[in-house]
Amino acid sequence: MPSYTYAVKADKLLKSRGYNSRIERNKKKCGFSLKTDGDYQEITGIFEKYSIPYENISCGGEPL
Amino acid sequence: MIVNFDNAATTFPKPLSVRKAVANAMEKFGGNAGRGGHALAVRTSEAVFSARETAAEFFGAEPENVVFTLNCTHSLNMAIQGIMQGGGNLIISSLEHNSSARPAVKLASDKKITLSVAQVFPENEKTIRNFKSLIKSDTKAVVFTIASNVTGQITPYREIAQICREKNICFIADSAQASGIINIKLSDGINILCTAGHKGLYGITGTGLLVSDGKYKISPIIQGGTGTSSKSLKQPVLLPESLESGTLNTAGIMSVKAGIEFINTIGIENIFRHENILCNKFIKIITRNKKVTVYRNSNAEYVPIVAFNIGKIPPETVAEKLSDYGYCLRAGFHCSALAHIQLGTEYGCVRFSPSYFSREEDTLRLAEIIKNM
Repeated sequence: MPSYTYAVKADKLLKSRGYNSRIERNKKKCGFSLKTDGDYQEITGIFEKYSIPYENISCGGEPL
Repeated sequence: MIVNFDNAATTFPKPLSVRKAVANAMEKFGGNAGRGGHALAVRTSEAVFSARETAAEFFGAEPENVVFTLNCTHSLNMAIQGIMQGGGNLIISSLEHNSSARPAVKLASDKKITLSVAQVFPENEKTIRNFKSLIKSDTKAVVFTIASNVTGQITPYREIAQICREKNICFIADSAQASGIINIKLSDGINILCTAGHKGLYGITGTGLLVSDGKYKISPIIQGGTGTSSKSLKQPVLLPESLESGTLNTAGIMSVKAGIEFINTIGIENIFRHENILCNKFIKIITRNKKVTVYRNSNAEYVPIVAFNIGKIPPETVAEKLSDYGYCLRAGFHCSALAHIQLGTEYGCVRFSPSYFSREEDTLRLAEIIKNM
């Protein structure tokens, strides 16, 4: 996620929709990641709907 | 005895909930918000985000578009300098505080922008008509105070904002004297709202907010650590971090959150009504002194501030005398050169500004003293 602010906003949005979600410290770069499960297309769809920017998506550490 | 009637400068006393919020922040929120992933940092970050949500709801914005600043001057400087980078024409009102006027004049004197000053009349129609006549093809932004910090006059900010919206001009509102007194929302047409946290929002000094609707990009005037993209030497572009370089004032932010919650509990209309009643009673008594001039016009509307002078007695002398009685009122020019030029007050004036905590008996006692001066 590009910032902690957007990570929290996304986290709250996903939780309110029944997704498991948590904010983690990004170990590769100084910043924050959001760890969640579920269909990534659904999740990115939610992010786009609510104008939540994200830098990249990975699955099991591999970029999607 | 000390009674504060200088709440337009900063409200005092603060609500008990605000004082408790500050103490709580000092005890619990000892991490650096947005920096690091340890428990203390996370707890502090969550608290700051919660304050963003509270402020966002209060002003009708998104949490990520709430920027915490040092004060309203800081917010206005960021907005004016950030929007006017690259030049263009800027219009400011004739009632602007120096916090808008000085950065605007500096940009103009450095030939970076052109500057126009829109006269504010007691009649809104005249103000709007005059404002329209100043708009140029390169007018990029307009700065209008919602209410004058000297007289309390409420400007036709909604109408001005609407005109700006139609012409794709960025409308920056100085809400320092209006927030917490009248219900201000971005949906009034405001693109960037600048306000103090320590006045009508009842936070502590050293707090301010810049609230954006996200339509106009604000170039940061300060760069530095944001806790994000730290490997990059470029300033992040996303709000709020792009405008929040450096460690945040966590205790101050928590005080603003508690202050807004206090306002929500009391009701903004009740706050306005209480203060307005005090102002009306104050005016009624002091104007029995025929030497008193109150700077109000029946065609205009006002937030609860009363500007006055007593004959030719220098305003600083009046304030000094009242201070001897224990009443704290501000005299002079109130950091608002333009407003005093408009009023024609060569030596400034005295300003009475109550808060929700101001008592009627203190107001009446003060008014009686002024009546007899």
